[in-house]
Amino acid sequence: MAFILETLFTHTECFSQRRCYAAARRSEALTEPLVSKLPSGLLVASLENYSPVSKIGLFVKAGSRFETAENLGVTHILRLASNLTTKGASAFRICQGLEAAGASLSVTSSREHMVYSLDCLRDDFDGVIEYLINVTTAPDFRPWELSDLQPRVRIDKAVADQSPQIGVLEKLHEAAYKNALSNSLYCPDHMLGKISVDHLQQFFANNYTSARMALVGLGVSHAALKQVGEQFFSTRAGAGAAGAKAVYRGGELRVQSGGGLVHALLACEGAAAGSAEANAFSVLQRLLGAGPHIKRGSNITSKLSQGIAKATAQPFDATAFSATYSDSGLFGVYVISQADSAREVINAAMAQVTAVAEGRLTADDLTRAKTQLKTDYLMSLESSEALLEELGVQVLSSGAYSSPQSVIQNIDSVTSGDLVKSQASRFSSKILRLCSEDE
Amino acid sequence: MSSTVCPRLSPAGSATSRLLVGFRKWYYNACGFNKLGLMRDDTINEDSDVKEAIRRLPEQVYNDRMFRLKRALDLSMKQQILPKDQWTKYEEDVYYLEPYLEEVIHERKEKEEWAKN
Repeated sequence: MAFILETLFTHTECFSQRRCYAAARRSEALTEPLVSKLPSGLLVASLENYSPVSKIGLFVKAGSRFETAENLGVTHILRLASNLTTKGASAFRICQGLEAAGASLSVTSSREHMVYSLDCLRDDFDGVIEYLINVTTAPDFRPWELSDLQPRVRIDKAVADQSPQIGVLEKLHEAAYKNALSNSLYCPDHMLGKISVDHLQQFFANNYTSARMALVGLGVSHAALKQVGEQFFSTRAGAGAAGAKAVYRGGELRVQSGGGLVHALLACEGAAAGSAEANAFSVLQRLLGAGPHIKRGSNITSKLSQGIAKATAQPFDATAFSATYSDSGLFGVYVISQADSAREVINAAMAQVTAVAEGRLTADDLTRAKTQLKTDYLMSLESSEALLEELGVQVLSSGAYSSPQSVIQNIDSVTSGDLVKSQASRFSSKILRLCSEDE
Repeated sequence: MSSTVCPRLSPAGSATSRLLVGFRKWYYNACGFNKLGLMRDDTINEDSDVKEAIRRLPEQVYNDRMFRLKRALDLSMKQQILPKDQWTKYEEDVYYLEPYLEEVIHERKEKEEWAKN
């Protein structure tokens, strides 16, 4: 104790000798994202974060939900075809030009959107943006390049087959929806090699129009981005083909594959993104438990884990699953268990869910869940990839960006009554769906 | 028989261009491959650029090429030529490989140019 006091005194002496003056804070206005809509329908959004690296993303409403029965798998091919020859630059030139500038171009696609994102140094913006423009507005689908793409499609599918999580999610959507959202992110087996140049061109013409695109930038000036948008991305007019409204249906799908683990996903229809109930479902997800917060911990805050731990001593994992799309959503529990304890585990998980549905939750649980949701959201915005995605998806779906503060307020306004109500309306209609896979 | 040998400087229909066309037709027939039913691009020497261009041909064009080559090989084995009405005419000769070949050469030059710097 004496030792500590001694060190305290020496420290204060030290400070008075060094005279540390804290610098007065210059009040720099924190920048807000700017969103503007061009006459062609293109949405341009940018956030100036004074970073030396620019991140530009083009979000297109061209996800796998817009595939039709004739061209299933076309988005998978488009995703892989993003580096192929375009009308302005050959494949070689795109690759070498980006590498020479130290930039990178990547494509991600979800069920709703196709996202092309370009990272580059801020000064290289003018030189490197032409590659993004070429890839997204003027691809030249060459038949021989497409046939050279087939091995890559197969590798993608083989890698996806290795992961049971991806398999369960794909099967979930297949069983849950009749159309649109039931399309898989991967090319189905019967379409391998059958996606032709015509399919690609038609899908491209129908879906890659200016009104369905949003050009988003981090670390770029809004004026520069708007100019690029006006000059290059506004040439394709038209609203494109309207996607079908996703129709939810219940169902059950089991995939036997031999092995010791069962991956089961039980879900019901959730809320569409942006609706009032979506926040309720997200809070509910955190309430039930959405992944451990401490590695290799006992997941004390997860109701699912605690409930199932009482039912079985064998290893298991359970999280609440929630997915939201523009006109629909899914909510449920994803359970991984040993093959022989599957019944107990799934029953225990459902018991927990019904417990919450009947309102047996404490105020502490609710505040904890809300805090966890808020923290997760704000933490995710710290990374530039997630920020770009959040900005792009919000702008594309609603035309405006709601600041983190307003999102936090919406989360705070969720009451336990909301949770019970949303649960009751969904679960009472008893459209439950189980996708299980004996791994 | 390349079209770059004599670039057409005088407008079509004038005396010199008719002379040139006449010369070209005579040269085409003198070459003799049309008597075997071949087109000019069937006879091109297959180096690596040409091989790549042939790989890129659409299926129908490629099949036609293979048929003509087979027929010509068969005729040359039998030391025969086609009857006169089946010879390829100068007007019907299509330079089908040229666009693909140009593209291949352009790509190769781009790679070489890039490797230089």
